[in-house]
Amino acid sequence: MNKRHTFTAKAVLAGAAMMVGSSAVAQTELDFWSWRQEDVAAYNEIIAAFEETHPDIKVTYTAHPATEYNTIIATALAAGEGPDIIHTRSYGGLEVLAKPGYLEPLDEQVDMSLIGDVAKIGTTLRADGHVYAVPFASQTVLVFYNTDIFAAHGLTPPETWDEFKAVATQLKEAGVIPLANGSAEGWMLEIMSGALLPNFYGSEFFGEVTSGATDFEDPRFVGALEKMAELKEFMPDGYQGVDYATMKQLFASGAAAMFVGGSFEIPGFRDAGVNFDIIAGPAAEAGGERMVATWLDGGYGVNAASENKEAALEFARFTASQEFGQMLTDKLGNISPIEGAVSSDPTLAKISELQGASTPYIMLVAYRFNTPTGSTLIQNGLQEMFAGSKTPAEVAHDVSEGIKASE
Amino acid sequence: MTAMTDADFRRAIRARTLRRNLWLAFLLLPPMAVMFIFIFLPMGSAVLYSVYEWDGLVRGDFVGLENFREVLFEPQKSKFLFNAFKNNVIVFVSVMVVQNGLALVLAMLLAREPKGYRFYQVVFFLPVILSTVIIGFQWKLFLNPVFGLVNNLLRAAGLDSWALPWLGLPETALPSMILVNAWHWVGFPTLVFLAAIHRIPKDYIEAARLDGASEWRIARDIIWPLMAPAVTIIVVLTFIGAFNWFEIPYVMNGLEGAPGYSTDMLGLLFYRTAFGSISATDSDFGAGSALAVLIFLFIFTVSLIFTRLLTAREIELA
Amino acid sequence: MAHIVMRDVQKRFGNVEVIPGASLEIKDNEFVVFVGPSGCGKSTLLRLLAGLEDLTAGAIEIDGERVDHLSPSRRGLAMVFQSYALYPHMTVRENMSYALRVARTPKAEVEAKVREAAEILQLTEYLDRKPKALSGGQRQRVAIGRAIVRDPKVFLFDEPLSNLDAKLRVQMRIEITKLHRRLKATMIYVTHDQIEAMTMADKIVVLNEGRIEQMGAPLDLYNDPDNKFVAGFIGSPAMNFFDGTVTARDDAALTVELSDKTKVVYPCANPGQAGVGDAVTLGVRPENFHFDGGDEPAIKGEVYAVERLGGETYLYLQSTAGHETVVHAVGDHEVAVGDQVAVNFNPARNHLFDPQGRTIR
Ligand SMILES: Nc1ncnc2c1ncn2[C@@H]1O[C@H](COP(=O)(O)OP(=O)(O)OP(=O)(O)O)[C@@H](O)[C@H]1O
Ligand SMILES: [Mg+2]
Repeated sequence: MNKRHTFTAKAVLAGAAMMVGSSAVAQTELDFWSWRQEDVAAYNEIIAAFEETHPDIKVTYTAHPATEYNTIIATALAAGEGPDIIHTRSYGGLEVLAKPGYLEPLDEQVDMSLIGDVAKIGTTLRADGHVYAVPFASQTVLVFYNTDIFAAHGLTPPETWDEFKAVATQLKEAGVIPLANGSAEGWMLEIMSGALLPNFYGSEFFGEVTSGATDFEDPRFVGALEKMAELKEFMPDGYQGVDYATMKQLFASGAAAMFVGGSFEIPGFRDAGVNFDIIAGPAAEAGGERMVATWLDGGYGVNAASENKEAALEFARFTASQEFGQMLTDKLGNISPIEGAVSSDPTLAKISELQGASTPYIMLVAYRFNTPTGSTLIQNGLQEMFAGSKTPAEVAHDVSEGIKASE
Repeated sequence: MTAMTDADFRRAIRARTLRRNLWLAFLLLPPMAVMFIFIFLPMGSAVLYSVYEWDGLVRGDFVGLENFREVLFEPQKSKFLFNAFKNNVIVFVSVMVVQNGLALVLAMLLAREPKGYRFYQVVFFLPVILSTVIIGFQWKLFLNPVFGLVNNLLRAAGLDSWALPWLGLPETALPSMILVNAWHWVGFPTLVFLAAIHRIPKDYIEAARLDGASEWRIARDIIWPLMAPAVTIIVVLTFIGAFNWFEIPYVMNGLEGAPGYSTDMLGLLFYRTAFGSISATDSDFGAGSALAVLIFLFIFTVSLIFTRLLTAREIELA
Repeated sequence: MAHIVMRDVQKRFGNVEVIPGASLEIKDNEFVVFVGPSGCGKSTLLRLLAGLEDLTAGAIEIDGERVDHLSPSRRGLAMVFQSYALYPHMTVRENMSYALRVARTPKAEVEAKVREAAEILQLTEYLDRKPKALSGGQRQRVAIGRAIVRDPKVFLFDEPLSNLDAKLRVQMRIEITKLHRRLKATMIYVTHDQIEAMTMADKIVVLNEGRIEQMGAPLDLYNDPDNKFVAGFIGSPAMNFFDGTVTARDDAALTVELSDKTKVVYPCANPGQAGVGDAVTLGVRPENFHFDGGDEPAIKGEVYAVERLGGETYLYLQSTAGHETVVHAVGDHEVAVGDQVAVNFNPARNHLFDPQGRTIR
């Protein structure tokens, strides 16, 4: 029924085109939907740049409320409608659209050679291995530290786990809360684990656990959890009740010296006027790996049912270009996964640099597709670990069991 | 003027009946339509959705009771259901004891019209009219372990060891929320109970007083049994409220029932299963609808049983 | 066994003075009836005695002991409410035994007392029913039973029969009187009903606006009311009043001229209570009129209504003396609406009230 509907629509359009067909240059109009209402101005500039080189294509950017976007786009696509270009979510959010065939597979039609593989995981449908959207921006888990506090106490940013704890101890003795993080909100614990666990479980672990060569009861993972649990004493008093807003407030007000959080916190801390810098999570030992966990925020997809697929693909190719990546970085302050897009902002530049050694933000990237999700499991487990009701080994066991049951 | 025959009279009566029925239909139609659109339709669609597989918002194959089997019998999923259910039961029992018990005591005290009782009546009822979301948020701030009012007061009173992260500990999070709920709602059952007490003819109480009953015996033997209808209403409303509890746990500790699902509720579980939560899960309409159907059936059945059992206990006031 | 004394009892609700001051004595085993117009404070007085209201001033003693500070249950009284106030959730048995159970009376004793009371009141077969399943008369008896089981020194009844139909009322009236004889307790009874008051009371207390107008045996009040209020209140149909003026006075009589110039010579012991020219009121009971003529003074008027009850007849006259007048005649009196009649009365058997409403004796 959908197909026939589309066919009728095409016929009508064709007829309409014939009747007005005499106009000089037939311009193709593309609809582009997104949830980024805060980015309308920047996108219009970026689109203007695209239209300059493609005078026959006109792109209209429409931003929907972020909380309703998933529903709006899915409903439209299910009804056989929707825009030509779709700003997609990533991982599970992408699969929801790609699996029913709403999105055009792009890997053979768009050159994505400038984009790293870790980013592309976010827009790949696991079932067929095709990439369905051009990755657009990544988020990175970092350790923020207050440069004023560090200077006042003569501290240098820690490189290794031992240094990290030494710095924290010194801060605590000086009456400063070393780490702003609390455990009231599970997702912030997961973020914290993204900064701290990978350097203990190592770069191999992700591939091995996702391929099934090992599971989460692996001693590397358990060991990493044990290390993370050591941080309790450096968190605020009553950290079990410290929520996201309180953590940010503690760091932004200078009550706490360090904060483990996502790169998306940067604008907020800048607005708050706190002087800070960022580092990757500490290495397990001197000379050890120093990775940052990253995940992809979303991508640009093409509606498989688009009337103007070729033009839409042209736009998708544009989003995979270095020129676009640079604009994304400059105009939106996003960290583009596109190689060679360098930021003039030192913090963003530093993140790009840190991303040189990156590891997937494991639960979101690989275990967000079935119930219970990896995020659910790790968040709950970490909360129990920080509440003292479960040991790291028990948490690892629960996560492992949960994931096996969900597959 | 011709005389009316029997048939004429009957016709007139029929016409009158018809007019009355049309009028009734006219009055009933709008509410029925509203009921249909906002209650039966969503309920029906929930049942329908629950027997399909879903890819996000896209309906897949018919799977029969598979979604129900999953949420009820697959340990990794059912453990959430049973944990949430257990928490809802705890909420129901605690609200009955703490909130409604307090309301009963307050109502009995207010019914004796102590000095300034009208003022207290308003004071107790005031939180009821405030928005639940605002109250949840306000108390979340009060209970903040770092700069919350509650812990600051405790510390000021020298009770440092009492200054706990109330919402962060599995042992205290749910009790704290239940107390916040009681703070929010206690005025409502108080008012209902008070109205019920005022409805009891004074004679009964005076007769009991002459019979030598103490205030306590009067409360227990006369007022309490004669308040039965109000108690029925409150028990059923409390039950429905407890098993649909959402706003306060959501606002105070989030969609995942932190910490460690100690404040998870059926409502939260349903919501994040059906619609997903940005930080941990994506939406699964099938399982979500199955949960909705189960929750509805449970609340409906038990409310019915409660109503039956409790109305049997009720006495018409002579 | 109860001798009750109320000494200058006062009660006000806020600024409303309901009982400005009432003193009264009730002897042991007496049956006292409070009567008075609606709102005159009968219930209030009863409730003050029961302890359901606190005194504003004054004192109440039972058997020589102050009780006004005691709680209701410790005054040894039982009260029967107009509404019966049966506990609707308790059976008849539970209703009757509640006071005993509250007092922790041994079970066997409770059972015995309830059974005894139930027998007296013919309630035995209804003991396991709830009040809802009883008729009005049965409920009334349960209310009385609830009082009986407590063995009170004093029974208080507040219009206990007013919700019953006429026949049941007569029956219950007799039963309460029997009960009084049998229990030998003091009973205080509030009613609106003339017949109840006249037939049951050892002593009637007439109240008006919270004041005691007169108290005494029923026939004393009937025959020798202290004032116009009591005269008008006791007796049914009520006494007829005619306005008049004193035109002459001697040692043993006052001559009164009614508005239609009828002259009435009223013999009395203290004619000095009124002076010539004073406005006085003549009171004649309906049953004191007769049709025998003679030289007794007469009230003339036109009959505007007749009520024939077979054994007696009531005539309603628009009298020339200015008032509607009720006349009682024995038997079926031959008279029709529109007839002009003259009815005579014997001044010596009637009452004259001075300008303050006091009886001139
Ligand atoms: N609680 C109260 N507050 C204020 N006024 C009251 C209260 N109770 C009674 N009154 C007033 O006191 C007066 C006497 O009332 P009471 O009930 O004693 O009259 P009553 O003689 O029993 O009348 P009735 O024959 O109608 O029962 C009335 O004017 C009544 O309005
Ligand atoms: Mg009364």
